[in-house]
Amino acid sequence: MTSLLKPRDGKDVEAAVHWALAESKTLEIVGQGSKRGVGRAAQWDLSLDLSDLSGVTLYEPDELILSAKAGTPMAEIEALLAANNQELAFEPVDYGPVFGAGPGRGTIGGVLGANLSGPRRIKAGAARDHFLGFTAVSGRAETFKSGGRVVKNVTGYDLCKVMAGSWGTLAALTDVTVKVLPRAETEETVLVLGLDDATAARAMSAAMGSSNDVSGAAHFPAPVAASLQAEAGAALTALRLEGVAPSVVHRRRALEVLLKSFGEIAVLEEGASRDVWRVIRNVTPFTGGARALWRISVAPTRGHEVAAAIGEGAEYVYDWAGGLIWVALPATEDGGAERVRRAIAANGHATLIRAPAAIRASVPVFEPQEPGLAALTRRVKESFDPKGIFGPGRMYAGI
Amino acid sequence: MAMAELAAQPRNEKAVKAAIGALAAKFGNRLVTSQAVREQHGNTLTWIENQPPDAVVFPQTAEDVQDAVRICVQHRVPVIPYGTGTSLEGHINAPQGGVTLDFRDMNRVLAVHAEDLDCVVEPGVTRKQLNEYLRDQGLFFPIDPGADASIGGMTATRASGTNAVRYGTMKDNVLALKVVLASGELISTARRAKKSSAGYDLTRLFVGSEGTLGVITEITVKLHGIPEAISGGICPFPSVEAACNATIATIQSGIPVARIELFDELQVKACNAYSKLTLPESPLLFLEFHGTEAGVAEQSARFGEIAADLGGGPFTWTTNTEERNRLWQARHDAYWAVIGLRPGAKAFATDVCVPLSRLAECVTETQRDIAEHNMLAPIVGHVGDGNFHTSVLLDMNDPAEVATAKAFSERLVERALAMEGTCTGEHGVGQGKMKYLQAEHGEALAAMRAIKHALDPQDLMNPGKIVAF
Repeated sequence: MTSLLKPRDGKDVEAAVHWALAESKTLEIVGQGSKRGVGRAAQWDLSLDLSDLSGVTLYEPDELILSAKAGTPMAEIEALLAANNQELAFEPVDYGPVFGAGPGRGTIGGVLGANLSGPRRIKAGAARDHFLGFTAVSGRAETFKSGGRVVKNVTGYDLCKVMAGSWGTLAALTDVTVKVLPRAETEETVLVLGLDDATAARAMSAAMGSSNDVSGAAHFPAPVAASLQAEAGAALTALRLEGVAPSVVHRRRALEVLLKSFGEIAVLEEGASRDVWRVIRNVTPFTGGARALWRISVAPTRGHEVAAAIGEGAEYVYDWAGGLIWVALPATEDGGAERVRRAIAANGHATLIRAPAAIRASVPVFEPQEPGLAALTRRVKESFDPKGIFGPGRMYAGI
Repeated sequence: MAMAELAAQPRNEKAVKAAIGALAAKFGNRLVTSQAVREQHGNTLTWIENQPPDAVVFPQTAEDVQDAVRICVQHRVPVIPYGTGTSLEGHINAPQGGVTLDFRDMNRVLAVHAEDLDCVVEPGVTRKQLNEYLRDQGLFFPIDPGADASIGGMTATRASGTNAVRYGTMKDNVLALKVVLASGELISTARRAKKSSAGYDLTRLFVGSEGTLGVITEITVKLHGIPEAISGGICPFPSVEAACNATIATIQSGIPVARIELFDELQVKACNAYSKLTLPESPLLFLEFHGTEAGVAEQSARFGEIAADLGGGPFTWTTNTEERNRLWQARHDAYWAVIGLRPGAKAFATDVCVPLSRLAECVTETQRDIAEHNMLAPIVGHVGDGNFHTSVLLDMNDPAEVATAKAFSERLVERALAMEGTCTGEHGVGQGKMKYLQAEHGEALAAMRAIKHALDPQDLMNPGKIVAF
């Protein structure tokens, strides 16, 4: 059992890091621990638990920004925003169910640290694109701030972007500010039925290139679609339209015209549409279970080739118009690492999101980097955390 | 750091000479040392003095860039990347001398992936050149700073423009980069996949780094489909405050406006005089909506209602291209119209950005400041982002005028910072805004400096910009 440091505020965090630095202890930064299973299996001396740094510190609905302490639960933030008809437009995936825990877990600091984003990423961007500012404690035990409350600035290096997706290996976030946006009044989903993966990729590309402002484009091949809707049995390609009702209706009609040559079309009204996108967002077909779960990012039109190249025993769904593939593989031997990475053939990257520790200890979890890029990664890590106290080895061995 | 210190940076004449000798052997007549060319490459568009490099090299390939960087680093001579020279804060000055790499000849569009909505370009491709290239394919690249800047320069300065409220800025539209580091190594920051989460986001570390971490040699950018329909129009308001409130209400209600630009009365007057228009001489919003025919019509109608609720209007709009261009002509001519207010003067541009809720207050106070100091300084704002520019008209040879303008600019930055804004929304830090960075970022500067030291340990990549070493 790892011992725990549980700071109550930013000052405590600084003191904790100061102590760890002096004692040469390594720290695992956690909020609620909902994504603890992601990353290489490594050992750290202590957990730096930020869950007591909790609470929304500033929310001005008019201004479309929200500031909160890093450990604030996502559930609290999402409820507050929903009460004001707003949301986090990047629609972060909820990894709770993927790891067999309940839904609605995670903290805002964790979401940003992991740069989580969901189906709307193709229209609204990822978490990091909505990350306006932060306060953090570096591996030098120095508190520093970056960014602020404006949506646009060009004041030097964009540290928010570097912190987003650093998985707690550069600095401990203590306070964050994010952009929030009005929630769409309604939504509908156009389903195209029975497409093979290659045709679905073309249909999604046509929809994305049109003026219909598609805010989600996903494809469920037949085996996975069957697990969704018992009677379906055919592949489903889903395209989401959001906005005010009249606009959604006329864009839906335009999209039906555009896509009718691809296959039979069905429309999901608001309620059913929301359900489907929740399934996609939270990777519901592959939650729980013992299979290894891969998250592959490629150029959208290549998605189906990559998926096909993985071979036997792989089940997958596509999001982001084919650019994101969630792949479930048997959690045996290397969890499929060799064939996944061979299928990508250096044209994208794969992250092993879920696998037993033994596999995560033996294969790279994040896409291996070319030597030049790896050296650069090391230098960036050292510039924030020169002694390597924050989650060393979580992303790459020795970094 | 004061300007006097910038000018007094150490120079090693012997090293410079040796580097130029080695570069001449490699690049022949693609190395230029004439005074006129050198001075042209230190152009600043402000009162910051011209600090020319010692030589200008015109690379044609990434290998050329690697060779030039290696030679310069070996002799400890600074390297300054140059696109079209339209940056506004001394980004391309050479305070310690050194070698400018001008990307004029690296202007090829390398690949367009229409179905994936991205393309790969060399840094010298300009935004207009790219859009002409893309037009036949029904695609466009949305970032449009005032100048016809290079994509390399726009990446290095994290540029934005009038479309940012819908399409974002360069930070949202760059997918991957190839960069020559101070070591001379050429690295790819990401693959062409839409999402670059393979490790730290190094792509966006270089976006906005102003050439201080390495030299960008190739850029993959996101493209967008040319909208099926565009509606555009203008809407007068009784006050700047009402126009700002209409902007906030529009964005808050989720109307996906593509462009929303504010002109103050003086700017409208200038445009009327210059473009022979009869626009109502009150604060004005220029708007554009992108989407389907029915969509843009509905968005325009909804905006019209918001404007009327706030005492503005009528909102005159159209989806007809020629009509729209006529209405938008004033926006496109804004710069020349400003110059027309005082022939012979230069326009010095300010660039603060504040939280949206403070925008009206900031613009109004700034107008008062302008009036109190008898300056001629119309205001144009990308108000959807809380960002606005004043164009201070002044005679750069009159020290009293320059002093007044400088003091005004400092007050404006202080005002924006006091409102939790930023000293620069889109022009960048360069040399001109370095001193404000301390006030705005405090401890983040130490983090930025640590990155600078890690990536450029000898301070040779565009030194004297963003962070003092």
